[in-house]
Amino acid sequence: MNTLVTSDTHLSCDKNLANHNPSSDLLFGIGAYQVWGTLGWHDIKQRYRRSVLGPFWFTLSTLIMVVVLGLLYSQLLNQEISTYLPYLAVGLVVWQYLASAVNEGCAAFIGSAYLIKQIRLPLTVHVCRIAWRNFVILLHSLPVVILTLLVFGHWPTPEILLLPVALLILWLQGVWIGVALGILCARFRDIAPIVTNLVQVAFFFTPVMWSPEILKDRAWVADFNPLYHLIEIARGPIVGKPVLLVSWVWALGLLIVGFTFAQWLMNKYRNRVPYWL
Amino acid sequence: MGVEFPIYENSHRSLKKAVLNLSTGGRIGQDAGKQSIVTALDNINFYFEEGARVGLLGHNGSGKTTLLRVLSGVYSPVRGELRVVGSIASLLDVSMGLDPDATGFENIYLRGILDGLNPAKIRSKIDEIADFSELGDYLNLPVRTYSSGMMLRLAFAISTSIEADIIIMDEWLSVGDAAFSAKAASRLESLVGKASILVVATHDPSLVARVCNRKLMLEHGRIISDEPVAAPVAA
Repeated sequence: MNTLVTSDTHLSCDKNLANHNPSSDLLFGIGAYQVWGTLGWHDIKQRYRRSVLGPFWFTLSTLIMVVVLGLLYSQLLNQEISTYLPYLAVGLVVWQYLASAVNEGCAAFIGSAYLIKQIRLPLTVHVCRIAWRNFVILLHSLPVVILTLLVFGHWPTPEILLLPVALLILWLQGVWIGVALGILCARFRDIAPIVTNLVQVAFFFTPVMWSPEILKDRAWVADFNPLYHLIEIARGPIVGKPVLLVSWVWALGLLIVGFTFAQWLMNKYRNRVPYWL
Repeated sequence: MGVEFPIYENSHRSLKKAVLNLSTGGRIGQDAGKQSIVTALDNINFYFEEGARVGLLGHNGSGKTTLLRVLSGVYSPVRGELRVVGSIASLLDVSMGLDPDATGFENIYLRGILDGLNPAKIRSKIDEIADFSELGDYLNLPVRTYSSGMMLRLAFAISTSIEADIIIMDEWLSVGDAAFSAKAASRLESLVGKASILVVATHDPSLVARVCNRKLMLEHGRIISDEPVAAPVAA
């Protein structure tokens, strides 16, 4: 039931990437940062080849989106624009990342079928590539958030130091989500459209454009929404809110549960995935 | 070792079926059990020792390429076990992963990364690959602007630039016009010469006679004969 590749390292390969098994796939995959880093970065370059602004299109389109939606919804929801705009900006940027991590995660293995069937790599590499690509996009959008803060004269507070940790957590969430959905969607082709729809609906249930305060006694809608907490761990440090322990616990808890699930799927189905593609 | 491919027809691939099966507790279960399975390889046993030059022969669909894919680690055996000692280079589809929109140099780099090389090592190889492919300044252009012959040259140069203990090949590679073809042949031969095991699938018995010292015949996913090939008569 197994493929065992043992290799001596004196040869050209520094780390033999083929030398993994279902249970070490996640670890080997995440460790192969050179592979997914290069491929993910290549995807970004590819998307904006021959364009003048290149990846800064992400920055520009986020800026337009935030300004237009910010002006509109601060009126509709009766919010003070100087606090609403930064709030919305972080929410939108993190949401974009999470939504594309989920949606593209569904196609992680299907889309990389041409590689999976040709060369033995940890499957997690293909997922990390997507997570990294979306993470780079997230980083290109973050300046917009900082800009909205500076325009209204908010200066970063010491909490900003937590931002790198929050970003790391977000990236890791992208990895387990991609592994889990990638495996499930490779086997059951109906799951991808279902997930896409759920993501769309979830956008309206998650406090991205509105703040949970307006829910009043229905605040549990936000309190039990893991997506809300994922946004919150990034939003807190950026807008300088005191550390929200609940959100960090949710985010870390989700990470543990998620990776356990992904590891279980890998153990069980890693070797089946190439047959399903 | 055995390999079976489940063939999911539309109905089997959907979640609906699985959920219905769960809820109706096995009544439709028979139906799910009927999903067609192609046994691509069945009861395959062999041991290739150092120095083996193995030729795989067989009709189309006899399982040659599937066996090569199993050897290269893409498909894990459904039954049994595969043990590989050493590094593997598979030349199954040489134009694998050539990105038409990226330049020749970028493609060399990407392929090196996929093979697990570090950037310094790749950079040292780039010159060698560029030299061999004779593509010169074209390497700065996107691959989609290449003629198909040029693309093959690049693909060949890239995939034969790796060193490995075990080489897996689907048909003996040959590329290019007369002059290049001779150069390619000698490069391939030196690559194979350095490797300790070669497995090549082919339809050409004369190739087997020329390079192989062992020949496996496959039919319907089974080995029907496994015999040594006499050393070629010195020319």
